[in-house]
Amino acid sequence: MDRRSFLGMAAAARSALAATGDNLPKYRVVTSYKPVPGQGMPGPYRGQVASVMAPRVIEEASEKVDAAVLREAVARGMCALTGDRDPRDSWARFFSATDVVGIKVNASGAPGICSTRELVAEVARNLGAVGVRPENIFCFERFRNQLDTVRYEEVLPKGATVEAAEDDRGRNDRYDPDVFVEVDFFGEDDTRSNMQRVVTRRATKIVNLPNMKDHGASGVTGCLKNIAYGGFSNVARSHSGVKTNTYSFIGTLAAVEPLRSRTVLGIMDGIRGVWHAGPFSLSRKFRFYPKQLLFGTDPVAMDRLLLDIIDGKRKAENAMSVWNRNMANIKPGKGYDDNPNIDRFIREPGHIEFAAHLGLGEYELSRIREQKADV
Amino acid sequence: MKFLLLAALVPGLYWDQGTDTAAELKRSGITRLYVPAANAAAWRSAGFEAVPFTPGAPRCEAAEAPRVELRMDVASATNAPWIDANGWRFERKAGDKWCYRTPAGAAALAAAEAYAYGVDGVIQPAPTDLGDFARMVAFLRRIDRPPMEAMANIGVVDDGSDSSGEVLNLLARRNLLFRVVRSPDPKYEVNVEPREVEDPHEFAAEVRRKLGDERRWVRLYGSQVVIARLTGDGRRARLHVLNYSHRQVLGLRVRVRGSWRLAALEVFGKEKAAAADVVERDGGTEFTVAEMGPYAVADLER
Repeated sequence: MDRRSFLGMAAAARSALAATGDNLPKYRVVTSYKPVPGQGMPGPYRGQVASVMAPRVIEEASEKVDAAVLREAVARGMCALTGDRDPRDSWARFFSATDVVGIKVNASGAPGICSTRELVAEVARNLGAVGVRPENIFCFERFRNQLDTVRYEEVLPKGATVEAAEDDRGRNDRYDPDVFVEVDFFGEDDTRSNMQRVVTRRATKIVNLPNMKDHGASGVTGCLKNIAYGGFSNVARSHSGVKTNTYSFIGTLAAVEPLRSRTVLGIMDGIRGVWHAGPFSLSRKFRFYPKQLLFGTDPVAMDRLLLDIIDGKRKAENAMSVWNRNMANIKPGKGYDDNPNIDRFIREPGHIEFAAHLGLGEYELSRIREQKADV
Repeated sequence: MKFLLLAALVPGLYWDQGTDTAAELKRSGITRLYVPAANAAAWRSAGFEAVPFTPGAPRCEAAEAPRVELRMDVASATNAPWIDANGWRFERKAGDKWCYRTPAGAAALAAAEAYAYGVDGVIQPAPTDLGDFARMVAFLRRIDRPPMEAMANIGVVDDGSDSSGEVLNLLARRNLLFRVVRSPDPKYEVNVEPREVEDPHEFAAEVRRKLGDERRWVRLYGSQVVIARLTGDGRRARLHVLNYSHRQVLGLRVRVRGSWRLAALEVFGKEKAAAADVVERDGGTEFTVAEMGPYAVADLER
């Protein structure tokens, strides 16, 4: 295969730089994959988000999920997004029997918070309903130890698999050596972040299932960060110091082909959420229950709504905003884990707007249409 | 002559056990060893080529046991693991004999390290490591070929100070290939004189910036615990790759500046090793070592 670098990314990044005035690291994107017109992020529903409130989807004390309510919520959300009456028609807009579908779960906060098992099961069921064979369905995430705490294989149809890039932390053989972003953030010697092989060589389509979570470095973590940092190796280097590079790295990674074109649907899991100390959920006191699912193809629009959900909850809890950049509140160390008015890093919620400048979706609320439904 | 050359390059075993371990040594294929002077006659009688030797002798420099060390109490400019490696010391004192006393699990790596840098190494392994050591020596003998000159980007005028030594350590740790020189040498892209360096990390980082990553002879991706040494004669090159952790490294991506044909890849412990995903890209040749333990060697040709 003839490999070449896409310099267009650099041009887009410069455009984003001009829009923000920030200094950007010098990114070099290497991929031979070309965009699929109209497919992927932001996809056919740019600037459009279906939002389903489902107050009965989870019983908070036990955290028991009502699968029937969840099924209805997914059906309503997909129909609200597409305008179809039959959810099967909605799923068929994105997937067909010939597809190999990767479900990008989020297990980074497991077992406290992760893509809900019942939601993963419901996604797999709907994929099966439009003809995707079980052996062509797989869940994927970077780290095996996180996946092992959730055991998605128990809720997937027989034949579907759960794939981890790193059974042992640091192994590099399940990343594609020919698809990577090269950048030197702070003088680290390994300057490459490679895309997962299951994305480049196995999946034809991807469903992105992020959680609604706070994130100490990026402000929040939703569609963009789940698919970007979950799809590439060697990404934690972007937030090794108080001043991070999450602002530009998340969008830059999400825009790399074939990840961008193959991520055709996002379902943001707000059955549970984390409003502080994310992406983990070590303390239940920072967990909350939005009981809400967002559906869309535009990760920027979905994450823009997430910003207000997380910041609104923080405000209700008298915690500082995710937009706070006062250095007096930034104290590297353990305090962040317990105190919502302490941060470890300078948060970068602007990463979502940056991604919009890369063409990944709509950031301005005036350009986002939210179709609401209740179950 | 060739035997003498091999004997000079392949590390020797220092063995202070009695001749009751002779059968174990023979089973491991070891016939030549360094022993305490008092034991030499007995070992010769047992059929071994035994050389009297004292590890602490002035003419044998002490090498550190090679390993990755967790040092949470030591501040560092990066979060990269701390590696105890001797390559920079070898560059500093070329020609000396080097003595290793290694804890369990480190003998094979020590032997490979000494071989990779072409120094006369004497390894005193933990007794339980005898098999590993012997297997590594057999591997080194199998892959051995006449040494070539070290390839480097950087000339370092070393004043012998501790701070200069730390700069050498950090350059080696970051795979910034250097030679110690008496005075700046135009054959290297960058020449530096690290005298009274206050911040060796920043100094090494500045050397890297001056050189530029695109000019580096070797880049490694996918592991923070691997150090490389490159030798060559312009037409051929040999890349030594040393893994300082006790774990297998999976999917190590290697980049060597220039256009090369990968003639062979040998991985210790693997009967058949093949480089994967070989490609020429942006002025370099890249390949993947799928899995490696302590040592691998790649032979490249123009």
